[in-house]
Amino acid sequence: MIVCVAVVGHQNNPLYLQSFTEADDALKLHHIVHCSLDVIDERVNNPKRSAPTLNETFLGLLYPTENYKVYGYLTNTKVKFIMVTTDLDVKDADARNFFRKFHAAYVDAVSNPFHVPGKKIASRSFGARVSTIVKSFGSGTTG
Amino acid sequence: MEDYPEELRTPPLSLVSIVGCPELHPSISAALSSQQPPMNTLALPDFAKASILARSGKSRDPLAPPQAPAGILKKDWLLKHRTRVPAAVAALFRADQVSGDPAQWLQACSDLENLKSAIQGKNTKLVVVLVQAQASDELSEDVTVALRKRAEIDSKHLVILVERDETEWNRSLSKLKNVFAELCSAFYKEEGRRIKARIEKRNFSSVELSIRYCFKVAVYAEFRRDWPEALKFYEEGVRVLREMIGTSTRLPPTQRLVEIKAVAEQFHFKISTLLLHAGKVVEAIIWFRKHIRSYERVVGTPEVAFLHWEWFSRQFLVFGELIETTSTTVPDTLSPRFGTADNVLTEWEFQPAYYYQLAATYLREKRYAIECSSLMANLTTEVNGIPESVMPSVYVGQYVRLFEQGDTVSVLPLSDAEYTSYALSEAERFQDSYEIIALFRKAYESFQSLGATRMASACSRGMAIEYYAAGDFSNAKQLFDGVAGLYRQEGWTTLLWENLGYLRECSRKLNSPKDFISYSLEMSALPLFSGTGEENQENKIKSGPAGSPTISRRENIQQEVINVLERKQSPEGNDDGFNNAMEETTHLEIDQISPLRMVLIASVAFHDQSVKPGSPLLVSVSLLSHLPSPVVVDQLEVQFNQSACNFVIHSTQEDCPPLDSNLHGQGQTTSLTLFTNKWMRLTHEIKSGQSGKLECLSVKATINKHLVICCHAESPASMEDFPLWKFEDQVETMPTKDNVLAFSGQKLIQVEEPDSQVDLVLSSAGPALVGEIFILPVTILSKGHAVHSGELKINLVDARGGGLLMSPREAEESESHHVELLGVSTVSDGKESKEEVDSIRQIQSSFGVVSVPTLSVGDSWSCKLEIKWHRAKSVMLYVSLGYSLGSSEEEALHRLNVHRSLQIEGQIPLLVTHQLLRPFRREPLLISEIRSLGGEDQRCSLAMNESNMFIVNARNCTEIPLRLHSMTIEPDDEGKQLCSVQQVSGISSGHVVIAPSEEYKGIFSVNPRAINSNFHLGEICLNWSRDSSLGDQESHVIMKQMLPEASVEEPPLVVSMECPPYAILGIPFTFYVKIHNSTSLLQEIKYSLVDSQNFVFSGAHNHAAFILPKSEHIVSHKLVPLGSGSQQLPRITVTSVRYSAALTPSTSAATVFVYPSEPKFNLETSCSTSDACVS
Repeated sequence: MIVCVAVVGHQNNPLYLQSFTEADDALKLHHIVHCSLDVIDERVNNPKRSAPTLNETFLGLLYPTENYKVYGYLTNTKVKFIMVTTDLDVKDADARNFFRKFHAAYVDAVSNPFHVPGKKIASRSFGARVSTIVKSFGSGTTG
Repeated sequence: MEDYPEELRTPPLSLVSIVGCPELHPSISAALSSQQPPMNTLALPDFAKASILARSGKSRDPLAPPQAPAGILKKDWLLKHRTRVPAAVAALFRADQVSGDPAQWLQACSDLENLKSAIQGKNTKLVVVLVQAQASDELSEDVTVALRKRAEIDSKHLVILVERDETEWNRSLSKLKNVFAELCSAFYKEEGRRIKARIEKRNFSSVELSIRYCFKVAVYAEFRRDWPEALKFYEEGVRVLREMIGTSTRLPPTQRLVEIKAVAEQFHFKISTLLLHAGKVVEAIIWFRKHIRSYERVVGTPEVAFLHWEWFSRQFLVFGELIETTSTTVPDTLSPRFGTADNVLTEWEFQPAYYYQLAATYLREKRYAIECSSLMANLTTEVNGIPESVMPSVYVGQYVRLFEQGDTVSVLPLSDAEYTSYALSEAERFQDSYEIIALFRKAYESFQSLGATRMASACSRGMAIEYYAAGDFSNAKQLFDGVAGLYRQEGWTTLLWENLGYLRECSRKLNSPKDFISYSLEMSALPLFSGTGEENQENKIKSGPAGSPTISRRENIQQEVINVLERKQSPEGNDDGFNNAMEETTHLEIDQISPLRMVLIASVAFHDQSVKPGSPLLVSVSLLSHLPSPVVVDQLEVQFNQSACNFVIHSTQEDCPPLDSNLHGQGQTTSLTLFTNKWMRLTHEIKSGQSGKLECLSVKATINKHLVICCHAESPASMEDFPLWKFEDQVETMPTKDNVLAFSGQKLIQVEEPDSQVDLVLSSAGPALVGEIFILPVTILSKGHAVHSGELKINLVDARGGGLLMSPREAEESESHHVELLGVSTVSDGKESKEEVDSIRQIQSSFGVVSVPTLSVGDSWSCKLEIKWHRAKSVMLYVSLGYSLGSSEEEALHRLNVHRSLQIEGQIPLLVTHQLLRPFRREPLLISEIRSLGGEDQRCSLAMNESNMFIVNARNCTEIPLRLHSMTIEPDDEGKQLCSVQQVSGISSGHVVIAPSEEYKGIFSVNPRAINSNFHLGEICLNWSRDSSLGDQESHVIMKQMLPEASVEEPPLVVSMECPPYAILGIPFTFYVKIHNSTSLLQEIKYSLVDSQNFVFSGAHNHAAFILPKSEHIVSHKLVPLGSGSQQLPRITVTSVRYSAALTPSTSAATVFVYPSEPKFNLETSCSTSDACVS
């Protein structure tokens, strides 16, 4: 189950962060997303390691922590997507698929002429669409 | 890891025992332990001690049905095998003990028997060692055979040590070592095989035994250094153990879990160590993941959850320490694509910091669990009490209670409840906080060095929370402050919110109201992350003491600040305790980098860019606050760098009237209420102060009488975004309504210099004349300002540009300027004084500085500039007066300047031309003139001893009349002797006045007396002055002009014509041409006369004549004029044959006026003439 998705901007500032848990660990998820930026920095800035992944947007598992696994994705405009899941075994393909859909939703949201680039994404329809994607991810792996 | 027993942490070593000959033991054990692999030695000094090798436990009846084991692993089993159960025993005998005395032989035999009986029932191998003094001490064959028989060993297990000879000793010792190694290997293999057989045959009654057997097999394999086999059985043991959790019923569930986890920990530790030491990092990490995953959910009942978390945390800590001590690196063979299918691992799993951080996190989990359990336990312990004399049992992970009844001590099992309360009381004794802080610090330092700042600050936050929980608020505050910086920078408001909540509480606990207020204000001004989401979504976020980040909470916090300021008790009822620490007013400073910029920002813009001093100007002050509730500002004080401009705006709600109504700029009262995210714009008129920069420094807002927020003023043009609000999706508003001002407004304005009230007058007297000393009066007239320490700067600049008043070439040659500032004469009290003691006077050719005396209002002062023109040039004269209004230092800094400029033309006053004339009708033959006809050298030639006329024309080129006082020719010294110059017509009555563009002619006669081809006639000197009717003292100017050189020569022939001054119609007259030969040669001349229609004449038309040396020839013709008027005489041409030069008199010389009749002149003259005629 995906418990959190986030969009992080150029200055490593959160543009969108939504958690999907019933438990009151939303703050913890904020921390986890924030810390995962370190891994993204490390993967993106390390030239030796990034060589084979030159055009790869999917960054893979960033790090496992406590009960969560954190996955990352970097768009070509250097906006970061982060997904936190509690699933133990996530197939790469599923994660990639999720991020691809999420990316499409993001592109649609920021294409809104009333959206100012670099500002938080406040669109309700984006939120609704993300919820759908998140739900379909859960059903896709378990069902 | 240090908590683990030694035998678990180090790989096991084979153990052998040596008995007898204690003096050799040190060297033997040293030799064995230095072997590769080393062996441990259990040295027994004599055979009496051999009994300890015997099995200590009570002998079990082999036929009895196998009892169910009471535990999985015995605690001391490993230690026993490492220290007390040797794989082989060596009995040491001296050779003389067995060969000589029969009594000794018997003793040796019985010792051997004892030893054999001690190791009976075990696989322990026996070795007999005979110690000889020398190799030559040959023992008889039958002794050794007898001994072997007694010991029941192979011949190769009887080793002879040679004591004295070193080489022999070493050789025999190495043989002993080999024997031991072989026997050990055999022993452990045999033992392992024995137990492995039980596993394979499933010859065990319970699952506990199965695990125990796996452990044993693995340990035996380790003794043999058979790592793969050891690993295999450890893993098998773990597998079985994990399965046991659900199935075993031997113990109450809580203790069962504790035991299983304790055993699993040992197994896991062994596996990790084996993998890491073999360099299999990836496998170790994967194994660790598996281990964690299999146990992370096995928490047990909530009362004992703390045991689980403690254990769980320890797993991370130990694994982290293992990784750290083995200093693992990411293997090169690993795919660099971390976290994907190629490589499931991630970077940080190779870093010990990652494990420490998680260990700390779980240890904190344990702390929470203890708090919960303690709370629950407090309710129940009163009934049960904590059981006494609980101690660890012989089995790993089990606890029992000692029960003493009289002399007998029995061991009783514990119930789960008893165990729980025991464990809780034990756990409560430890201060986990310090452990957690230490772990977080380790992780923090490690992450920091890895450059993972966010992880590091997460660890830092963990530390801070622990300090906070432990009550160390100053440390907590320091750490939280550091973390908050990162969150502010990256805009993670929810995290910042939590942080600030802690900081707020820290400052409350530290009794620092100022910090409390500033943190609270920052919190209430924070943008909410999920502000657009549903309310219940927000409420789910629990953020420590801060509460959930909602708008209502922000409003509450703002209200709390106001309560604190108003010294009210906070609504929550907790005592703030600030009352004694509160100062009268709290001052907060907000600069451009302060996080409190969200709370209040002041943008100040002047409406103009520059202003005259003293004139009114408009300034816009705009305030913006992001606080959720409206803020009522009591008074607003705007401060400038010129304090005279400061002004205060009072709110209308303010009850008390302004205290000092005389204060400058005082007065306005308006409603000053700031609404969230809405600019409050105020425009105020102030009077500009002194000249220079006027800058708004700060805006001080007083809120609730006790809080003064001092905002640094910002210019709208250079205002930065709000640190956190810039990411919010909201309309940006302008600080001023005027868009131009909003984009380009500045908080500073240039106040110009005040208009100088001093007049500087340059009175020009028209163009200057070259050569004269041009006097230019400069007058300083004070109209409204007193002039202090005034200074007059004078500068002369070429009007056509270029600056310098000399041509570059001339500048090199000489320092002479075309126009020169000669000096300044000051006039004081009507007297002219060239020198003034105090005055600073610097005059250069084109620049001068003159100090001006102090003038009071209404005074005037003047000076005269003396400028001399050497060339006709147009010049700009710049005069600037700098002065200050007072003599004090402060006033002296503000200098006022008056500038004036004037263009002055320099003109040449008189244009002098000159002309040389020969005597009338007298023509000397000048040979040089004939020769130079075609040449360019047009030097005029003068005939010697002839009086030549020299006419000098002086033409007034100016527009003013000039006086000419004298005109002379000053011959140079040589010229005086060679030539006589006489003035023919001169200036009478002192001077002549030459009107503009008029000419004055002076006539001189020049009579050279010597032959000289380069004759200097001298200079023309003109003494002139301006014709000023004002009666000023005249300044005469002498103007000199060089005359050209002339050549003086003696003419060979001089032709002179004689003719009456006039003729009368019809009356004949004689026309003579006299030719004088001044040479000593005979000269032949020819002459011809051309007819003229107005005359008839008698005489030859053409003739020739010879003239004797130094004599004169006269040609005469009689002429009768036929027409009246100015008539041309018949033209005569005289030609000298010798010089082939022809002379024709000029037209003017050959013209005569013919009157029609006898002329009658003026009255007197005519009378006299008529008289004469009559007479």
